[in-house]
Amino acid sequence: MSEGTGKVLPNRPGWLASVNPWVLRVVNNPERLAFVLHRLTGLLMALIIMAHIFVTGTPARVGWEAWAEEIAKAQGITVVTLYFFFFAGIAWYHGLNGIRLLLVEFFGTCIGKPEKPKPPYLAPSLKACQRKLLYTVYILWAILWILTGYIVFMG
Amino acid sequence: MTFDPEAATRTPPKKVIFRVKRYNPETGKTWWDEYEVETYRGMTVLDALLKIKEEIDHTIVMRYSCRMGVCGSCGMIINGMPRLACQTQVAEVATEANPVITIEPLKNHPVLRDLVTDFTAFFEKHRSVKPYTIRKDKEELETGDMEYLMSPEEHKELYEYTLCIACGLCYSACPVAASDERFLGPQALTYVWRYVSDPRDEAWQERLEAVDVEGGPFSCHYAASCSAVCPKMVDPGAAIQRLRSALIKYRLGLYKKKKVAKKATRPAEQVKPKKPLPPEAQPVPGANIEAMEREPPTIPVEQLIA
Amino acid sequence: MVKKSTVQIWLQYVTAILLIFLLTWHLLVRVPWLRGVETFKDTLASEKVYHEVSSYGILLLIFAYVALLHGFNGLRTILLEWTSGKYNGLITGTIIILFIIFGALATYTVIGITPP
Repeated sequence: MSEGTGKVLPNRPGWLASVNPWVLRVVNNPERLAFVLHRLTGLLMALIIMAHIFVTGTPARVGWEAWAEEIAKAQGITVVTLYFFFFAGIAWYHGLNGIRLLLVEFFGTCIGKPEKPKPPYLAPSLKACQRKLLYTVYILWAILWILTGYIVFMG
Repeated sequence: MTFDPEAATRTPPKKVIFRVKRYNPETGKTWWDEYEVETYRGMTVLDALLKIKEEIDHTIVMRYSCRMGVCGSCGMIINGMPRLACQTQVAEVATEANPVITIEPLKNHPVLRDLVTDFTAFFEKHRSVKPYTIRKDKEELETGDMEYLMSPEEHKELYEYTLCIACGLCYSACPVAASDERFLGPQALTYVWRYVSDPRDEAWQERLEAVDVEGGPFSCHYAASCSAVCPKMVDPGAAIQRLRSALIKYRLGLYKKKKVAKKATRPAEQVKPKKPLPPEAQPVPGANIEAMEREPPTIPVEQLIA
Repeated sequence: MVKKSTVQIWLQYVTAILLIFLLTWHLLVRVPWLRGVETFKDTLASEKVYHEVSSYGILLLIFAYVALLHGFNGLRTILLEWTSGKYNGLITGTIIILFIIFGALATYTVIGITPP
């Protein structure tokens, strides 16, 4: 637009697009959900790691009595076990999907080979092995998280 | 974007309600309008919008040109997914159970009016990556009489990326471009890789250096929405990963471009003496080529007609 | 001016590769069967934790620093993307200060530990 009289409407969803995978309803795009989850778990971990370093510093900062007092609560479903359960679950997803992202982004692999368009016109990277890896990530995540829950709560 | 022949040839619901997001720049107001349209088999969303404009509401504004998925003008968000209106059958997006189609202007592009978005910034980014072949022998480029050789395999490597029609759907779908104005976007970065991987291009090193900035390939986080919405199967998501990986290898001293394409040679008896640059290819005395590359000169319309 | 690729390669991707191994180890040391104890709670007992910190202190410290680098650079990247790089100085400065504080805390946790 050259010298228009009106205002233009900025139409960017902003940070919402990073936390809400349904800002757009793109079909055949589980990678978008993976991106949102990776970003959310990353943000949470960056925040939790500060608390984690602070809490695990208890023996050096305060003393072993305070540590033992905290650890006494680590049985059954308590704040301490819930903290371990969720932190481990978040870390499992971020780590597993991180391996997939390293393969795709850092090594440039698992994204298929360029090909000439033919029906049904599906982009090669969307049917490449990164997609299978993505489903593997979700399945492994569920298994590992359930296992973590078993160890933390039942043990 | 996948093509489903069964869905595209289906008969759409007899009457479909179009919910269109409107915007008036004079008042700055945004609102939704609903139109009921009688459909027919083979009707595209663009056909329906034109029918609305002709028969129901003349004030609705949209951009379109070729009506056959070539020009890339009619990109809009149809039922939450960026699509070309001319390539989307009403039958694909409306069902008997839910005969409603919502249409919004493309996200991440500023809206001028109703469904028309401003592509200035988008094209500016496209231009900034120098989307043309750069050779060191400029004279040869101007006066060359033979083609540069390329094997079918090399052609296949980049053919996919040359199909881009710059419709802006990928940029609209990108969750990074949704907040970061500096991000070059899937379209421009795909062009960078298209020329870096092109054996006929000699400026791969400069291109890799130029995109090593905030907003370059490192801003991509592979949500792959660009590849999922591309109407031409360009696969920008994969192109950016290849570009990023090449840039990483280049920085670690591991990247080597395969080879630069050689020019085809004529039989000895057909070789002609090398021609000097024609006068029209000589730069105008005093012209600053570099400045012109950055900011193209504006040529008045009268001068063009003359 | 540091190049974007330098920051991303060394602070994001190389740390990510290291973290795969370090995080796996860090999570596995809490599995009771691998530590020869009965329950998850037992792996957190004072003697076990002291043994872990005193024997593998350097590894824990490397893990803390690598995780802080990866996490804080990621946080910085996300914040910069959300703000289109408008508050680069402020965000990067805050992140560096946080890194120093929590790096020091992690170092003290390993160095300042005494037997229970």
